[in-house]
Amino acid sequence: MIQGYLGIDVGSVSTKVVVIDQRGKVLASRYLRTNGRPIDTLQQGMRLVGAEIGDRVEVKGSGATGSARHLAGLMIGADVVKNEITAHAVAASRAVEGVQTIIEIGGQDSKIIIMRDGVVVDFGMNTVCAAGTGSFLDQQASRLQIPIEDFGSYAIKANHPVRIAGRCAVFAESDMIHKQQLGYSLEDIVAGLCEALVRNYLNNVGKGKEILSPIIFQGGVAANLGLVRAFEAYLKTPVIVPQNYEVMGAIGVAILARDVVTKKGGANFKGFVVQDMAYKTTSFECKGCPNACEVVQFYQESEILARWGDRCGTWSGA
Amino acid sequence: MKVSFPRMGYSHLAFRWLMEEVGLECIVPPEPNNETLDLGVRYSPEFACIPFKVLMGSYLQVAEMGADVIVTSGGCGPCRAGYYWVMHQKLLEEIGVKTKVIAFEDPMCGIWDFIRKLNLFRNAGGASIRHFVQAFKTAWEKVKAIDDMEILSYEVRPYEITKGDTSRALQLSLGLLDKAKDRKEVEEARQEGLKILKEVPQDINRDPLKVGIIGEIYVLLEPSINQYMQQMLGDMGVRAERSIYLSSYTRNNTFSQGEQDVRQAARPYLNETCIGGHGVNSIGETVLYARHGYDGVIQLAPFSCIPEIVARSILPRVSRDLDIPVLTFFLDEQTSRAGVETRLEAFIDLLEMRREKKRGIKSASLITLPTPRAKFDAAPKLVAADK
Amino acid sequence: MATIGIPRALAYYIYFPFWKTYFEELGHEVIESSPTTRDILDKGIKDTVSDACIPIKVFHGHVEDLKNKVDYIFVPRLVSMRKFGDFGTETMCPKFLGLPDMLAASINDLSPVMEARLDLKKGKSELFKVYSELGKRLGADFLLICRAFRRASKIQKDYEQLLQRGIMPDMAMQEVLAGSYKKAALAGREREGANQQARIPKSGLGQAGSPSGDNPCSLAVVGYPYAIYDPYINVGLISALDQAGVRVYTQDMLSHRQLKSQAFKLDKDMFWYFSNRVVQGALYYMDVKPVEGMIHITAFACGPDSIVDKFLEIEAKRRGLPYMAIMIDEHTGEAGMQTRMEAFLDMLEYRRKKRES
Repeated sequence: MIQGYLGIDVGSVSTKVVVIDQRGKVLASRYLRTNGRPIDTLQQGMRLVGAEIGDRVEVKGSGATGSARHLAGLMIGADVVKNEITAHAVAASRAVEGVQTIIEIGGQDSKIIIMRDGVVVDFGMNTVCAAGTGSFLDQQASRLQIPIEDFGSYAIKANHPVRIAGRCAVFAESDMIHKQQLGYSLEDIVAGLCEALVRNYLNNVGKGKEILSPIIFQGGVAANLGLVRAFEAYLKTPVIVPQNYEVMGAIGVAILARDVVTKKGGANFKGFVVQDMAYKTTSFECKGCPNACEVVQFYQESEILARWGDRCGTWSGA
Repeated sequence: MKVSFPRMGYSHLAFRWLMEEVGLECIVPPEPNNETLDLGVRYSPEFACIPFKVLMGSYLQVAEMGADVIVTSGGCGPCRAGYYWVMHQKLLEEIGVKTKVIAFEDPMCGIWDFIRKLNLFRNAGGASIRHFVQAFKTAWEKVKAIDDMEILSYEVRPYEITKGDTSRALQLSLGLLDKAKDRKEVEEARQEGLKILKEVPQDINRDPLKVGIIGEIYVLLEPSINQYMQQMLGDMGVRAERSIYLSSYTRNNTFSQGEQDVRQAARPYLNETCIGGHGVNSIGETVLYARHGYDGVIQLAPFSCIPEIVARSILPRVSRDLDIPVLTFFLDEQTSRAGVETRLEAFIDLLEMRREKKRGIKSASLITLPTPRAKFDAAPKLVAADK
Repeated sequence: MATIGIPRALAYYIYFPFWKTYFEELGHEVIESSPTTRDILDKGIKDTVSDACIPIKVFHGHVEDLKNKVDYIFVPRLVSMRKFGDFGTETMCPKFLGLPDMLAASINDLSPVMEARLDLKKGKSELFKVYSELGKRLGADFLLICRAFRRASKIQKDYEQLLQRGIMPDMAMQEVLAGSYKKAALAGREREGANQQARIPKSGLGQAGSPSGDNPCSLAVVGYPYAIYDPYINVGLISALDQAGVRVYTQDMLSHRQLKSQAFKLDKDMFWYFSNRVVQGALYYMDVKPVEGMIHITAFACGPDSIVDKFLEIEAKRRGLPYMAIMIDEHTGEAGMQTRMEAFLDMLEYRRKKRES
């Protein structure tokens, strides 16, 4: 039986589950839409991955990342819970030797990570709304009635990309409609949207960062060839899209889990049984002081796994 | 006359005591919560900064609770905050709320106006001048004692063995202080409170990172607006200091002490003494934190804050020159705890790796990342929607 | 002789005649950056933090435009223009105060910046002191400095008078600067004549019920000079209004005395020079020289304007004056601007008809 490590990345838009082997090779991976139900989606992802690896792999350790990392970590009994910036950096530096810049564009947030000599030296995350993220393209794609998967192929056919103004997704949309009314071709508009996203990204998230190659472009949006081209045109340098661009965060945290378990031993992984458990959250208002914090309780079956939400630590510390 | 005031951190303990002591009925504003924000955002100009919006919401809440008068501070520019009371008053009138806003302007700019307003409150409460002055002095001691306790709590928290001990100790200490009635009792409570905090069980073998928090006063002082960042950092095992405390702020800005150093330090980067708010301080304090060997600096600013945007434009240069990472948060009503936490954790990872590299630990690769110390005090945003 | 570049942004619209005359009288060549374009704005956006307001971004773009074309770029640090306000502490917006430092931090390989700190609340003589200091740095002798300063002051005064006579800055500048060199004075006059002709409202323009020429609709357009006079960032609003046959009034068409006469209406003066001018000018057009409507042009994320705009909105509402705020940012679209303007004018026209009937 092979020894493997599980990494999960539960974000606001998508949930990623991977299993890697000792050398970091991906044995199984799943990319699912979270659809506002992180617990169900994670259970589903675990079921699918668990079925795929079957008895071939023994999971020695696990890690969680993404905006719901704490919750997910509790559910699976993770050995390491890490923020997604660090997780992405870890995976990227394994995928491409000497990587210096990581562009990561996800559904609702986007990041840039600057690395030197294998160490994160600077990072940025989007501060203004969705105009520099994947959901911006999703929205416009549905507006144009093009499947998002085909977006890239439209974009690369463009001759003269239209300039679409838009720091904000709403304004961009109205400008795009305006350009449509002026009669620009669909290809040029799609390419224009890709350029607008790149511009927004670099002017907001990438502002003031020293972007040196090798540059890695990862996250669900990296599938879009139009965007890759737009980045390359803007930065005037090639951009690498790694093989597992969609699940890099999960890979990163799986690598971290492997390192932690190798060093300290003792895996806490609860196994793929997670899929069959019932989870729920309840909340109550603490009457201990005038702050009246709302304390959330997280249950696995009837057992309380954790409480949080109080400021004084009475509940979360207990 | 029912009197209220803006809430900032724990200072309301001292203010409430003062007002009740001089015979005024006091309404303490609730800690800013979602309702405060909703109200504030609804009635404020879109691009007003978050302090304006929170105060607007707070004022409406205390008006609802029956406040006749709200006491606040003015200012002589160029930061917008000095003009806010005028706008708040105007907006309250527009909404049809009768509550009056009375602002104390800088006494250096007009001492008589200052005294006149003080007298107004003294007469309303019926306290003698002697008693009034005594009460002020005691309240001032309380403000200083509150700050001392808070400062110590941030020093202790990264070492605490059981999570939450420090916060509980701080609440206990503040409770003692709240009961003190004169300067002697305040001093006793202060001593006792500091002792309680020091007695929190600690693991002194830890080696916490040191981070300085700089920026605009209101978002620094009101933890509900900065998502309890200083406490959050402590829980992550970081010693977080901040540049402004109410006692030091009032002392510095009214009598100009200690400010010289900061301005001097800022000069090579921002050659103008007063750009309003704490813009110059943010530059100068970053320089000072770097010189004192801090691992990193966090800038907190309200979204659209003018002086802090100037500072933000210049900070990258300071950061490069002095080799100190700076993380900026522009806070507004949409800032979520989960977003803040993720950025903080990543920043701490970055600082940790830098420190190890600097210390020449060989395996400075990513393998030696610290295991997370932040636990589950932060509810991921999604969970709330899930229940 | 040196070449001095002056960015066509921020205080340019008010003080350029003085600067140009002064430096030229000292024997230097003055180059202004080209009018704002997409390219200039894009460069500015690249250089500045995303939270900065658009005028600051535009300014950075203009500095980029002058980079490597000139020996010096003149970037004055305008701290205060006079002693005013409840505490005598009126200043310019803090972004003006930190401007040279922001430039130094955000633009690499900048042509040497020529800085001058103008803090006129210290007294009137401060102005000469600062400029003579600047002149000395440029190697001029005292006599030349005095003459240049006198000359520049005269031109500036002429310029402000033209503005107060209701002439827009672009034309007023042409006039005074052409006049100052005596050369092509005549041609200048002709050019102006031609311009005026070009500005005669075109009839019709597809607008139903456009106000007729003999009784034009009067509209106050208030806002910072760099917002209302830069046709790129406000998408040509002023000339569009012009073409629609509207008589436009701005706060710069009022004298200092007229403006100051409104100050008593504020519980507390604003802290910023341009904001006080906007608020006082707006009040003047509300109460003393009534207009039919008011448009406030304000920049996205402008700090002072979050107050000024709400203030004007409330005051206009109390007086029943139609009021519209137009917010400009890097993405202001022509279509949106046109729609809003037309709707506003239609509303004024409708009110007028209703009143007349």
